[in-house]
Amino acid sequence: MPLAFSPTTVPVVVDEAKCIADKGCTVCVDVCPLDVLRISDLTGKAHMKFDECWYCMPCEKDCPTGAVTVNIPYLLR
Amino acid sequence: MTAFDPFEDFGDIEEIGERLNDADAAVRRLAVIDLAETASADVLPHLLTAVADPDATVRLQLAIALSEFDAVEAAAGLARLVADQDLTVAQAAADSLAELKDPAAAESILPLVSHGRAFVRAAGFRGLKALRSRGALGPALAAMRDEDANVRAQALGVVAYLKLEETLPCLVAATRDADATVRSVAVNALSFTSQPAAAAAVTAALDDETWQVRAAAAESLGRIGQTSAVDGLTAGLSDEYWQVRQKCLNALGKLKAQSTVRQISELLTSDMASLRKESAAALGEIADPSSRDSLMAHIGDADPDVRKTVRWALTRLG
Amino acid sequence: MDNFVEGLSEVTCDVLVIGGGTAGPMAALKAKQKNPALNVVLLEKANVKRSGAICMGMDGLNNAVVPGYATPEQYTKEITIANDGIVDQAPVFKYASRCYDIIQELDRFGIRFQKNANGDFDLKKVHHLGTYVLPMPNGDTVKKALYRQIKRERILVSNRFMATRLLTASDGRIAGATAVNTRTAEFLVLRAKTVILCMGAAGRLGLPHSGYLFGTYENPTNSGDGYAMAYHAGAALANLECYQINPLIKDYNGPACAYVAGPFGAYTANSEGNRFIESDYWSGQMMQEFYNELQSGKGPVFLKLNHLHADTVGEIEEILHKVERPSRGRFHQARGTDYREKMIEMHISEIGFCSGHSASGVFVDEFARTTVPGLYAAGDMASVPHNYMLGAFTNGAVAGEHAAEVALETDLPDFDSEFVKAERKRVLAPTRREDGIPPNQLEYKTRRLVNDYLQPPKVTARMRIGQARLAEVRDDLETALVARNAHELMRSLEVSSILDCADMAAHASLFRTESRWGLYHNRVDYPKKDDDNWFCHTLLRKVDGRLVSEKRPIQPYIVPIENEERTAYDRLRVSNQA
Repeated sequence: MPLAFSPTTVPVVVDEAKCIADKGCTVCVDVCPLDVLRISDLTGKAHMKFDECWYCMPCEKDCPTGAVTVNIPYLLR
Repeated sequence: MTAFDPFEDFGDIEEIGERLNDADAAVRRLAVIDLAETASADVLPHLLTAVADPDATVRLQLAIALSEFDAVEAAAGLARLVADQDLTVAQAAADSLAELKDPAAAESILPLVSHGRAFVRAAGFRGLKALRSRGALGPALAAMRDEDANVRAQALGVVAYLKLEETLPCLVAATRDADATVRSVAVNALSFTSQPAAAAAVTAALDDETWQVRAAAAESLGRIGQTSAVDGLTAGLSDEYWQVRQKCLNALGKLKAQSTVRQISELLTSDMASLRKESAAALGEIADPSSRDSLMAHIGDADPDVRKTVRWALTRLG
Repeated sequence: MDNFVEGLSEVTCDVLVIGGGTAGPMAALKAKQKNPALNVVLLEKANVKRSGAICMGMDGLNNAVVPGYATPEQYTKEITIANDGIVDQAPVFKYASRCYDIIQELDRFGIRFQKNANGDFDLKKVHHLGTYVLPMPNGDTVKKALYRQIKRERILVSNRFMATRLLTASDGRIAGATAVNTRTAEFLVLRAKTVILCMGAAGRLGLPHSGYLFGTYENPTNSGDGYAMAYHAGAALANLECYQINPLIKDYNGPACAYVAGPFGAYTANSEGNRFIESDYWSGQMMQEFYNELQSGKGPVFLKLNHLHADTVGEIEEILHKVERPSRGRFHQARGTDYREKMIEMHISEIGFCSGHSASGVFVDEFARTTVPGLYAAGDMASVPHNYMLGAFTNGAVAGEHAAEVALETDLPDFDSEFVKAERKRVLAPTRREDGIPPNQLEYKTRRLVNDYLQPPKVTARMRIGQARLAEVRDDLETALVARNAHELMRSLEVSSILDCADMAAHASLFRTESRWGLYHNRVDYPKKDDDNWFCHTLLRKVDGRLVSEKRPIQPYIVPIENEERTAYDRLRVSNQA
């Protein structure tokens, strides 16, 4: 049986104007305990790839440019 | 099938150092992060070149990064950054200075305390506090006349950490400072000594105009343990703030102030469960048989914490 | 990233530490300091920088035994009584005797504890008897400070490798572990003389009420992998029926932080704003009272701060919104909850295994040794009850030192290459399938069954149905689980751990035919505590591929507890209402 594509609204959002992943930064991707962030091949910026968030915030706290915001996952809000 | 190396490398310091010369500030900033991550003191000469970086975001990253190194060189770099014109950089540097533990760092920090800007002076004393440097005592005592309250509070911190009897006049005077934070630090700090002058000054602070200072004074008196404070603490049982009344109850318990059993018992009928509980706890500490009847009357108190404390107090009475 | 790479490597070390959260880094540090010539490897599924339960820091020590405030004897007594007497005291006493050294060492590392104006540790009294709480108002620095030490000691760190199974030698000794890269699925064989498991709680066992798989009380990365690995290596696991269940902020599912707010005068209240908890030390008894109140006409339960001064609430917020779970402020803000005005709705967590908060863990003695020679365990997954973060540090240190000594006098054990081959096949099986059930669905189903059938109040017939349903899920896991990339492979392996833990939870709970530890093991069809038959530990282990439970006598107390003393404690905790 093929797999479905079920969308979810992601809790972690990245301000691409501030993100410096295209300069070689991988801080948020490195510090996520659940490893849910990735750098996009398309934009060179960080984004949330997997909606598996503990809203723990190292990504936001450690981002050198303040580009990351962690929201509470919708089901908990 | 390919083999691989599963271990993190420790970073090529020279290579990362080169990136500090990049034209792009973001690249320089990332180089600072990478250098700090090596946790090796060898990177400090590289990092310190960034103190003069024209871009504030690079200097900010450096101010954060230098907290990773408990070294004299890091202190020297932070001493420059704390006077940075960019306030974000200066604040980060002040926070990092407070992380230092190596007493040798005091030498780099000391000049800050006579800086023209109050922010820098306060950051200097804040950094010196945990180093417990005797050399900082003179400037700290002198700074108790500083016009800026935060400088006085941080300088008082330096004095308080040293715990020297000779600083008693300074600490006592600080209990009457114009600033409430300074007064709070002073009453808290005076608990290290059993000198009567300390207890007297802290007792006087039970009449302070700010309730937080009065509460801190009551707490401190519990630690000092001088019976001369009993009258003041008993008067504090009718303070307008319940928080102060609670601390006074606790202190009277610690002082085993047998003469105040009646006044303490009166608070067993307070509307606030927290006060009833503290009252029962104090009676348990004092363990005077005369409080048995009042305690027994509350064994069925509506609040479980009060009941529990009453039961505990009764076992103390034997 | 995340695409499959065919890769296979083998490395050799003296001491292998698995898990880079709290206990792990300390174990690795101590092993290395004991003998700098040793080759110490620290393996971590995420990145040691920010991994594990304390990735965002910790707001305080709940169980600091500091001279002048509490004694090891007193602490050991309180822990013994809070656990209904089912305690081997030696490891508890050892922790209590050693933890002050560790606090001082952490202080030197740059981890900041609350100090008074004179620079002395500022402990707070939260319990009725001892004074154990040392706040960490700037506790967000914990991981950073630990990581710095690891780097300075030049410990070999292997991030993004998830351990899958332990290797044992023909004589039963530990021989290493296998692991898989969570971004490439490359396979790694680690041979070692001693292995220390520091893999955290089984925190992804029950399903949170929100239904969000990762909205757990514990960091969801702690999926019980250590419990499963120890089990498959033949190690004994103790008292797994003594679940972890915690009070928490409803929906947010983060800790209620009575230890933070308590010293400021906050407390847990019912909907009338009144206290209701009778028991003193954090225990299953307390959780039962909490549960009863939740279900009663006076429910639900709240954290009450609105009687405090606005400045005091501000101070509490400053801590709660900065350290450990800082997104809490954001959660309340979105709902318009102001601590100053409204009480905050609380609930209880999903179930899990965790000795950090209760007593369910891989069995260890006072040297952190498991029942498998050369294998150690520390932190939330090891059986030292109620050991919290400071216990992870302290027992991690104990494990690291002992494992270093043993490694020095041990030759590298042999291992079974056929086992490794089979394990690689097992691990990579979900990557070989084109079609099937993805890990998120398998996980949801497993954990929903845990909630429906295994969480207390426990009922025999219900748990048996649960076992049967879980067996069906296991069939799916073995034949149909599909992972499309390395990340999904990690989640698939985690589901396997979760399922193992669910089976263990059911088996252990059915074995102990009495009720004990309040809510943790409340068996409705065996409602009484039965000291004649069950004043003992239970040990669960794998024998011939099956779960087997047995009783284990409690070791003679080293801190005697007089009967009178026990009743005195009981009087403190039992309701006085006739």
